Amino acid sequence: MFHYLIRRLALAFLTLILITFLVYALIRHIPGTPLTTDPAMMNPGKMPSQTDIQRWEKLYGLDKPWYQAYFVWLGNVVRLDFGRSIPQNNKPVAQLIVERAPATLMLSVTSLILSYLLSIPIGLWATVRAGTFRERAVSTLLYMLYSLPAFVAALYLQLLFYSKLGWLPLFGMVSDNYTSLSTAGKAWDILKHAILPITCFTYGSLAYDSRFIHANMEEVIRQDFIRTARAKGVPPWRVIWHHAFRNTLIPFVTLLGLTLPSLLGGAVILEQIFGWPGMGRLYFEAIGQRDYDTLMGLTLMFSVLTLLGQLLADILYAVVDPRVTYS
Amino acid sequence: MSTIPQLEPPSVPPPTTPAPAEVRSLGYWRETWQHFRRRKLGVIALAFVAVLCFIALFAPMIVGTKPIICKYKGHVYFPFMGYYVRSWENPIFLKDRFRDVYSTALKAKDPESWAIWPLVYQDPYRRVRDGEWPGQRGNPVGTDGSPNRINWLGTNQQGFDVLAQMVHGTQIALSVGFVSMSIAAAIGITLGALAGYVGGWVDMLISRLIEVVMCIPALVLILALVAMLDHVSNYHLMAIVGVTSWTGIARLARAEFLKLKELEFVAAARAMGAGRLRIMFRHLLRNALAPVLVPITFGIADAILIESGLSYLGFGASPPNPSWGTLLHSGRIAIQQMWWLILFPGVAIFLTVLAYNLIGEGLQEATDPRLRQAT
Repeated sequence: MFHYLIRRLALAFLTLILITFLVYALIRHIPGTPLTTDPAMMNPGKMPSQTDIQRWEKLYGLDKPWYQAYFVWLGNVVRLDFGRSIPQNNKPVAQLIVERAPATLMLSVTSLILSYLLSIPIGLWATVRAGTFRERAVSTLLYMLYSLPAFVAALYLQLLFYSKLGWLPLFGMVSDNYTSLSTAGKAWDILKHAILPITCFTYGSLAYDSRFIHANMEEVIRQDFIRTARAKGVPPWRVIWHHAFRNTLIPFVTLLGLTLPSLLGGAVILEQIFGWPGMGRLYFEAIGQRDYDTLMGLTLMFSVLTLLGQLLADILYAVVDPRVTYS
Repeated sequence: MSTIPQLEPPSVPPPTTPAPAEVRSLGYWRETWQHFRRRKLGVIALAFVAVLCFIALFAPMIVGTKPIICKYKGHVYFPFMGYYVRSWENPIFLKDRFRDVYSTALKAKDPESWAIWPLVYQDPYRRVRDGEWPGQRGNPVGTDGSPNRINWLGTNQQGFDVLAQMVHGTQIALSVGFVSMSIAAAIGITLGALAGYVGGWVDMLISRLIEVVMCIPALVLILALVAMLDHVSNYHLMAIVGVTSWTGIARLARAEFLKLKELEFVAAARAMGAGRLRIMFRHLLRNALAPVLVPITFGIADAILIESGLSYLGFGASPPNPSWGTLLHSGRIAIQQMWWLILFPGVAIFLTVLAYNLIGEGLQEATDPRLRQAT
């Protein structure tokens, strides 16, 4: 196990270097630099002189070719310095990410909990009532939800709840008068803004998870030990919960590990639609502003989480299933 | 529903008359098709995609403002071809200053001329004005273009007809799906086959590559690649989506090849002196293709989503681009007034994605022996 871990970590480390190198090469080849895309620089009255630009490029290290600059960046990262965002007044990237993370976490964690809380009962119910008309109807509905693209759903929900009914706000996380509200009012305000994004984040995974559970349960429920348990006179709910569901946990745990990156990754399109100040939006803005260090910080965070999630899934797999060993 | 024998490639041998005593087993592809056919939803979805293909192929004949066929100054022309490729429209119309308004210009410049018109006189790239077409007033501009008798699905802010944009947008959605997944399949199957069949350090290298590409979120990679281009065309998008979404296909192809290469028929082929490439692409690929079609089908749905998502974000092909996502984008700007710009393209995207998912699902069940037995 220990050797396996070391090998996996070493490989993951190599992969990380490769990913960051590739992404760095890519973003440095996008036309324009953080200096040229700054709106202040576009002002024809205050157009900076060529010498000024060269001085700034030198200051920010933009004068070096990208392959040299990459190793400067890498060296800084090893010392836990993730660089600074030039368009955001030289704010450290780490601070920028920490500031934006809660907004995304609020959506992703809530939707993760909601979808698990709802999908397990739905999946089990579908197994028990398999083949009945109602189960068919619910399963079909879930399948259609699964195929409904999140951004289309987001626009439909906005159309219904904002434009037709006027119940919920269109975008943003807080209203304009947020600071003047009481504590309860603030919570209510955020909740009102979060309902639609959370719905959009949740319904897709809810549909996927309940189908996943149902499919795994269908496989387990055909096994001999289930028949044995039934023959012994174990009550039906106990057969489902104790005997069958427990045995479907193994693939479920793997799924859990693989959702790790999506917790912090946010969703670029959804956050853009809802004007939600999270990580996806940060990434989108950073691309437009050629904000190299922020882009690299986000890429690094995302790839670390993905690799970690895969490793975690494999380890958890061995923990829950004693038949699996890594040697 | 006797449509679409698409799934059966020409490689299926023609059924020879079997000897009466022996029961001839079905070919692999035919068997897959037999299983696929049992699921009604999958077949309906396949028919739906066939209809979409039809609409995409004949879009300029369904909705357009250029005649399908016309006689002008003694010659016969097909101006609607200009919708497919600009240069396929005969230059004489440019020289004679038609300015794309054939309905009035034809009669004015040559009273002898005649023309056969598309079913609906509307254009995805410009506004139809007053007096262009007998009995049809010009399209409204601004937020007034709600669905009516002339513009069935309404018009956008510039007065372009939504139905016309949606019909022509089918071309974009379908071609992005097909072309980008063909690129992805070519890369994915080649790399997966190499990794699975050759093994060793080749496998190690390719597996790393797959992992690297998988770790970079697709949309992030795509946004960065799109930002590198000055003028984005749909071909750029197809290429970009293609080179970023082959990992799932490669992984599955690798697994299939790993499994298949241990079977007897490979040893037999090798004993007969077949070369590596021949075994890989003639013997193994044919057997691995059906399972690999599953991620390809799901990939088409994803590619369509990515294209419309990018168009929605304003990162899609440069205008004029009658994509479904562009319509959503212009609808989001005027969400208070112009619901029709969101509702109709949304339904189109949803149904197309649903159809591809259903086909993928059906294929999965038809090719996975474990699931087959369950039914």
